[in-house]
Amino acid sequence: MAEQTLNIPQLVVFIIVSVLAIRWYFSRPVATGTRPAAGQRTSRLNPAQIEQVAQMFPQLNRRDIAWDLQRNGGNVSATTEKVLSGRPLEPAPASFNPPLPRAAAQPVARPTAPAKASQPDLITRYNLANKLNAPSPEPSDAAGKAKTWSQDRNERQANLQRRREEMILAARRKLEEKEKAK
Amino acid sequence: MGTPASKRLFKEYRALSSDPPDGITAGPVSEDDMFVWEALIQGPEGTPFEGGVFPAELKFPRDYPLAPPTMRFMVDVWHPNVVYPNGTVCISILHPPGDDPHHYEQASERWSPIQSVEKILISVMSMLAEPNDESPANVDAARMWREKRAEYETRVRDNVRKSLGL
Repeated sequence: MAEQTLNIPQLVVFIIVSVLAIRWYFSRPVATGTRPAAGQRTSRLNPAQIEQVAQMFPQLNRRDIAWDLQRNGGNVSATTEKVLSGRPLEPAPASFNPPLPRAAAQPVARPTAPAKASQPDLITRYNLANKLNAPSPEPSDAAGKAKTWSQDRNERQANLQRRREEMILAARRKLEEKEKAK
Repeated sequence: MGTPASKRLFKEYRALSSDPPDGITAGPVSEDDMFVWEALIQGPEGTPFEGGVFPAELKFPRDYPLAPPTMRFMVDVWHPNVVYPNGTVCISILHPPGDDPHHYEQASERWSPIQSVEKILISVMSMLAEPNDESPANVDAARMWREKRAEYETRVRDNVRKSLGL
């Protein structure tokens, strides 16, 4: 019983490792083969290697990683060593055109995005940027008119819209003044 | 104006527009669909929410007013009774009667057809001022509110500033 439970995870790990190894082996010729235009200089670069280094050091620019790998013949551990020892990677020249893995790069950036991406602020949401700097209208006049119930459907909608906008703009101005007073 | 539900919602819309409660603006996003509303609620004074304006979406069921609407804030609201980050408001008036397995709430506090959108929005406003600590929807916010009040207030104020684009 105890032997069996030990063996299953080992088997699973073995299968995963083999699948990854096979995929990596087969993705190599494809990646280079699909970019004939990149020419000889980048033909040896493997997007998977760039990705590998980029995942270890997300602060690094992928182009610079590619440039370093390009010059050391695709030696990932040499590039890793270099970064770990604190030596900066040489910036890639503008003419350098590495095979950057676009599809692969996105899922790496994603996990942080939904968690951090807060909702758009109210000024953006209600499209009020251009009304921010306009002088504040006399509140008595506009608000009084907006409060009455109109028989016309479009006018009702416009009144509601105006009341929303006024409420947000008033809050924003008040907060701005408060911040200035500090 | 077809169904009883949309008739009732139209009546409530008219009442809320003609005589709006302080700090509340509410109405359908478009009169083509009376079952989706957008409300703006002002942060109550004397609380860290003061100065903020909080937009929320209300979705009404087809059998309104027999069943209550759902309400969801459209900006970040850090509060014990608001699910984070999706903004769903969890207060007793939005719960149908007989739907409280934990018996936290009195039947009279829960939804019934004699309640209204106006009463919901006023309840939500007072909820912002006085969180209900007993059945928190956001456990982290509840703990912070209980144990680190200053931190809670700072976070709420920061959200207010951000939501107004400052």
